[in-house]
Amino acid sequence: MRRPEIIIVTGAGGVGKTTLSAGIAAVIAQRATRTLVITVDPARRLADALGITMRDRTTNRPTAVPDTGSLDAVMLDVTASWEAITRRHTTPEVADRLADNPYFRAVADRFPAAQAYAAGEQVAEFAQSGDWDVLVVDTPPAEGGIEFFTAPRRMRELVGGRLLRWLTGARIPGRRMFYRRAARPMLRLADTLLGSALLEEIADFLLDLRTLYDGLAARAAAIDRLFGRATVLVATTDSPGSMREAGRFFSSLPEIDVSPHALIFNRALPDSWITARGPKGNTAEDEALRENMARWGLEARRNRDARQEMAARLAVPMATVPWLRRPPTDISGLADLVAGADGLEDIL
Amino acid sequence: MSVPQPALTSLRPMLERRLLIVSGKGGVGKSAISVALALRAQRAGKRVLISAMTDRVGAASHLGADRLFYEPTTFHGDIQAMAIDRAEALDEYIKLQLRIPAAAPMRSLIRAMQVLADTAPGIREVITMGKPIFDVWQANHDLVIVDAPPIGQLMSYLRAPAVVADLVPTGAVRDQAYRMGATLVDPEQAALILITTPEDLPALETREALVELESEQLVHLGAVVANRVLPPFDISPERLAALPERPASEAAQHHIGLLDVQKTALAQLPIDIHLPYLFGVHTPAEVAARLADAWDNNL
Repeated sequence: MRRPEIIIVTGAGGVGKTTLSAGIAAVIAQRATRTLVITVDPARRLADALGITMRDRTTNRPTAVPDTGSLDAVMLDVTASWEAITRRHTTPEVADRLADNPYFRAVADRFPAAQAYAAGEQVAEFAQSGDWDVLVVDTPPAEGGIEFFTAPRRMRELVGGRLLRWLTGARIPGRRMFYRRAARPMLRLADTLLGSALLEEIADFLLDLRTLYDGLAARAAAIDRLFGRATVLVATTDSPGSMREAGRFFSSLPEIDVSPHALIFNRALPDSWITARGPKGNTAEDEALRENMARWGLEARRNRDARQEMAARLAVPMATVPWLRRPPTDISGLADLVAGADGLEDIL
Repeated sequence: MSVPQPALTSLRPMLERRLLIVSGKGGVGKSAISVALALRAQRAGKRVLISAMTDRVGAASHLGADRLFYEPTTFHGDIQAMAIDRAEALDEYIKLQLRIPAAAPMRSLIRAMQVLADTAPGIREVITMGKPIFDVWQANHDLVIVDAPPIGQLMSYLRAPAVVADLVPTGAVRDQAYRMGATLVDPEQAALILITTPEDLPALETREALVELESEQLVHLGAVVANRVLPPFDISPERLAALPERPASEAAQHHIGLLDVQKTALAQLPIDIHLPYLFGVHTPAEVAARLADAWDNNL
């Protein structure tokens, strides 16, 4: 296995990705392996699950998790990373100019592919540092999860794409060339839509961005390779929405040469509940217990059907993690989560 | 701890509005409740359009269909539903809303605009969110229900008009954005229906969303809805401890544990509407119908 090993946990929102990532990282760290768990999801769940407070939110500096020996955790701040990207790939003058460009700042804050790309670069950075043997990455939910994987090529397309070249000219001669003749109808339209002041800012931005291309393209290709060799785990629950989302990961990731390895079915209910009855007595409590058993029996059946459906649909290993009433709040809780899981150790 | 106060507690004024935006954390049942609301509005004699912003399948399944299209499809007599496709919305936006001359070389222009819309912050949001708002302006329906993205993402859509106004000093997009913002903040016309489930994380995110909504005033809060609320279960701790039957005691403890989480989660929130946890197997269409009925029982 090449070092560091990369494990990416993805899936719909609300299926417990962050908690599962923390659990997986905690188990791997127990084998005295230097492990880093990274969350791209801006939620505090990671810190909560590990029972730690994370300082240095904006510097992307990992925090050691106490009592684990070899586990570190980090929450990515993508705006900071995005600025670091431009500094890495261009001259200080261009980087300063970009940092001052209001359009760039807004893009860095809000362009989802840029955020996802920045996260990917940061992961690559951690991978290259040699400080860890295993990286466990928790992706943003839903669309953001797919975007995390597609961002490197989308960034390459944006910075080096034909449209941009068409807009700005084949070489990078300066702003005037932005107003190429071929681009004029487009620019007239854009002028009607957006006004010329913004257009100039965009032109400046795109021209500066193109100076990043070589570095960025090489880097994006490296991130792609990193994702290509990562172990990708897709998490789901029995909710139809999350199952649909999981199916989408399995069908669309291979298109970009990423193949999900296994499914984690979270919030599983015991099969023994399906046919169980409550106590026989005649008291109100007996009645209530029977009613409760009956309704959770129905849920357990639905849950089992969902697991069987996913297993039949996707020919991949599946781990099941039992439904905990409360998400873990410390390392020992995480250890319980993984201990109660079925098949999780096998896929790690 | 101060909790933002609910905006209103009755359904009627809500359905009198023109635009209801249904959002919440991922997986709380936004699509099911969007369709349930549409069924309720239909019972009140409204012509409804459901506008699915996230995907083509979610709301469709609760209408008993496989998928939705950009062209509205009719369900249950007169409920219409569509899925917003960003490329098609952009196309329509450029052609109709911005009155671009037909002679313009559309294909390459639209492709180039897509690049701009993808990079220029706020613009794609304004165009996507613009579609249901245009439908409100066109007044072909009494009520437009938006099955919106998760609340974190929705906030960037709601902020988009202001972002565009900051970023775009002149131009048609700015004018459109301004008018959109005005519709969104008008409580007579638009309201947000915020969905949560009685669990830690959804409750936390809902609280945070309420604080942001309160301070930013981007849209009026119509109602906070708790979905999948578990029924009470009364049993003495002694009896529970003495239960010999294993699945029954596990299931009882499971339920009681979840009730405990539910109590904490809901205590932090100003819930207007409680919708029940539906146990067992239901088709998505049944889920929507049951939620529509349950909504009535709240009043």
